[in-house]
Amino acid sequence: MREIMMLIVVLLPFFTGMLVPLLSFRSRKGMWIYLETAVCINSALVLWMLFHAPEGSLTVFRFTGSLSVTLRLDGLGAVFAAIAALLWPLATLYAFAYMKQESSEKSFYTFYVITYGIALGVALAENILTMYFFFEMLSLVTLPLVMHERTKEAVRASRMYLFYMLGGAAFAFIGMTFVLAYGSTSSFVAGGVFDPAQAADRKDNLLLIYMLCFCGFSVKTAMWPFSAWLPRASVAPTPVTALLHAVAVVNTGAFAAMRVTYYSFGTELLRGTWAQWAVMLPVLITIVYGCSRALKETHFKRRLAWSTISNLSYILFGVVLMTPLGLAGALAHMVCHSFMKLCSFLCAGAVIHKTGREYIHELDGIGWRMPKVFVMFTISALALTGVPGLSGFVSKWYLVKAALDSGGVLAYVGAGALLVSALLTAIYMLSIVVRVFFPGKDFDYRKVSDVKEPNWMMLVPIGAAVLFIVFIGLHSGPLTDMLEQIAGVI
Amino acid sequence: MDGLLIVPIVLPVLAGALLVILAFREQLAEVRNVGSGKKESKKGAVPENKRGTAPENKKGLALENNKGLAPEKRWKSGKENWPFFYAGIVVTVSVVLALVVSWTGERSVTLFRLVDGLPVMFRVDALGRLFVTVTSVVWLAATVYAVVYMKKEEKQKRYFGFWLLLYGVLVGIDFSGNLITMYLFYELMTLVSVPLVLHSGTKEAVMAALKYLFYSLCGAYGGLFGIFFLYRYCDSLAFTPGGTLNAAAVQGHEGALLLAVFVMLIGFGAKAGMFPLHAWLPAAHPVAPSPASAVLSAVIVKSGVLAVIRGVFYVAGAELLRGTWVQYSWIVLSLLTVFMGSLLAFREQGFKKRLAYSSVSQVSYILFGLAVLTPGAMTGALVHVAVHAFVKCGLFLTAGIFLQRFGYTKVGQLTGTGKRMPGLMWCYTILSLALIGIPPAGGFISKWYLAEGALQSGTGIFAWLGPVVLLVSALLTAGYLLPVALRGFFPGVQEDDSLQELAGAGGNVNLQVFPIALLAALALLAGVLPNMLIEYTEKIAASVL
Repeated sequence: MREIMMLIVVLLPFFTGMLVPLLSFRSRKGMWIYLETAVCINSALVLWMLFHAPEGSLTVFRFTGSLSVTLRLDGLGAVFAAIAALLWPLATLYAFAYMKQESSEKSFYTFYVITYGIALGVALAENILTMYFFFEMLSLVTLPLVMHERTKEAVRASRMYLFYMLGGAAFAFIGMTFVLAYGSTSSFVAGGVFDPAQAADRKDNLLLIYMLCFCGFSVKTAMWPFSAWLPRASVAPTPVTALLHAVAVVNTGAFAAMRVTYYSFGTELLRGTWAQWAVMLPVLITIVYGCSRALKETHFKRRLAWSTISNLSYILFGVVLMTPLGLAGALAHMVCHSFMKLCSFLCAGAVIHKTGREYIHELDGIGWRMPKVFVMFTISALALTGVPGLSGFVSKWYLVKAALDSGGVLAYVGAGALLVSALLTAIYMLSIVVRVFFPGKDFDYRKVSDVKEPNWMMLVPIGAAVLFIVFIGLHSGPLTDMLEQIAGVI
Repeated sequence: MDGLLIVPIVLPVLAGALLVILAFREQLAEVRNVGSGKKESKKGAVPENKRGTAPENKKGLALENNKGLAPEKRWKSGKENWPFFYAGIVVTVSVVLALVVSWTGERSVTLFRLVDGLPVMFRVDALGRLFVTVTSVVWLAATVYAVVYMKKEEKQKRYFGFWLLLYGVLVGIDFSGNLITMYLFYELMTLVSVPLVLHSGTKEAVMAALKYLFYSLCGAYGGLFGIFFLYRYCDSLAFTPGGTLNAAAVQGHEGALLLAVFVMLIGFGAKAGMFPLHAWLPAAHPVAPSPASAVLSAVIVKSGVLAVIRGVFYVAGAELLRGTWVQYSWIVLSLLTVFMGSLLAFREQGFKKRLAYSSVSQVSYILFGLAVLTPGAMTGALVHVAVHAFVKCGLFLTAGIFLQRFGYTKVGQLTGTGKRMPGLMWCYTILSLALIGIPPAGGFISKWYLAEGALQSGTGIFAWLGPVVLLVSALLTAGYLLPVALRGFFPGVQEDDSLQELAGAGGNVNLQVFPIALLAALALLAGVLPNMLIEYTEKIAASVL
């Protein structure tokens, strides 16, 4: 009955979250222990499950006919589940320290923990309907988190968030109906569900639908021209921006794009068609566009959000190469980027938490008062720019290798775009590093004398992410072997 | 004993890292004191008796005062001079180790894999030996100089920390056995040298350092673009004389590969100051402390040259480029840079900036020598690597003495300095002559081979246009270097002997002039007894062309 585990890991966070407002805790610490224990247990269960993978699938309930909510664990889902399982306990620990100053903690934690289960639901979805179901749920559950501060700005941002998500889901829905109507099965099948002979008749229709569907799911990754919501959503408390809007939610979009491309429509059908170029073009534009906007942005978190947009499009670029190597590269970047961006966001959050400074020009000289945070930020910045020896280099190397192997002019342009973006990344990240450590000769350090290092609950998650970045950078063999194996089944 | 190879890399890196960490902690404590100092002053407002009750606070104040001392006073107190000895000893030991390890037999060692198929590997070959020797000699000379020079600068620990780190990284570049290892150290070199450029911490220095950083990264990514393609179309990225191009794989993709190699040339050319990515050089050199600008110009710029040689001659293979648009564009860009650099240097009045433009021009001599793809020109280019390194290091160190002791930054201010410091001015003159290429100094030999090689290259119009441009540029070089010496020795009638050393100029000036004299002697020696160097570089050139 290993299959039941899949349901447990989805439901456990759900009930944990639902209970938060109902239970009365004697102290804040009690709530912390309750939450952290539940999240850790769930992560342990997920990791156990990954090593003792259930063979079959588990149908939770049926709507009608072949439409059902079904869970199954495969390689692709395992990668996504592993990222969530590793990051959630860290980010939750961080959230405790961060949310002390914020209001209505309980409602925050409720949704924060529920999201964990839903993200796992996306990872474990066996068919496109299940994925769509959890995908929609994720939008709805994260909405209160964006709105958390209840300010005018937050409300506006969350309205925008909602519109984008619903709009994206509508397009995705069109794709889903076509897959269900014309596919040979509703499940995800490596290589696609369309019978080549039948598909040939309505190929152009299918390609158009694929394009719509891809764009619909990519709204969650904030692909250009649907990218405006992500920087706006950074009004949310930092644990949300860091974990959800840099990792979980946006990765869900990329993950869904992988599923649709490789497991529903199938690369056989898509490769070399106009649809491939039609989706690759906005992806390439986003890679450069996101970086350029990040460069212009003066708000710390929003700059990182733009950077996320650009980096998520690296992943999408790997996806739309439509080769196994491309998928492996995309997965590698999904893993590496999650840790890098989480790390830099948590550092930004630490600054906001301790000093209330949100703009980059306010950070002069602050590195000397928060040395641990900013040394770790520097490492994540270097990793993001792709310095060899850190994890960013590994994933970029695989992406470009895949691009060159796949051939084609746009793939070459993509390799160039990645490097241009790397340069821009270096500029917008390292200029922060230089600013915080070298504020100029005549800088008056009394301006930052009130700044203090955050406590261990913030430093430990950041440090753990840094360790991962360095470890993968120096010893990527096992990870990349595994990813290539996963992608190799296609 | 192949593992010995990493010792001269690891030793300075670790030693440097230690100093950097110490400097970091020191700065932390300093900033923290500023913070508590504020509280202190607030407390000062409360009545006296309360102050008396807090003796530990008073102690804190005293400590802070001690920190606030001018650096040279701290030096005199004898507590702060250990980093100088430490740096001196580590550099000496590392240089000796690097030379011994590289000149005694073939060694190669693989450390670990960065990514599958990308091992970090070190191997010493003839080219690496040449570069590591040049680097080490320059480093030793500059260190001796820096030990005196830095006494009057602040934050010496940080400076020497990065100084040691940088030496280790540079040895790593020279010892690299494949392109990706070299790229790794190439990136590290940029990151480690940035703190040296922004050392003074002024706004101008920080901006210049950022410019340097971004140009370098831009160049490095251009190089990486080429590496991606070479990885795809070559059998391996390991350095093999003549290249490892896989002819079967390239079939049908020549255009893309050539474009990639061109991007790589422009990219690595950024470090070598080649047009169009040369603008960081005149910005970064003048603001860095003089020993740092000396090694920037003498060694770091040469890493760009080394990267180009490695990429083109040891991985892609020269035959790929011969006769293509890439070769011609490369020649055009390098000649343009030669001419433009000289012209700008000629017009420039700031002494260090003039030398920086001169570097732009001179390093492109080397690139031109490589671009024509003949053994003769390549020999000249490699000889010029050594000559230019010695000369430019010496010139920048000279400029440093004038800058620090007399506060002279403009060329015009140097009038009459030859009377006051004849030894230094003689060194300057010899170095200048060597760079211009007046026989028998070193520059003559290298330029002779460059011109000869270009004439035999069969590159059409460039076969004769190249030497002409080199000649014109040599005239300009004479025009911007020699007047300084002339006016230094013969200031004219109206000059008075008002040359005053700045107050507080401490340290032994002879110890600073000595390395310059040594470098001048080497530059001269390269011309007087050129056979050994030429035979050695000819062998390298013959192996790859």
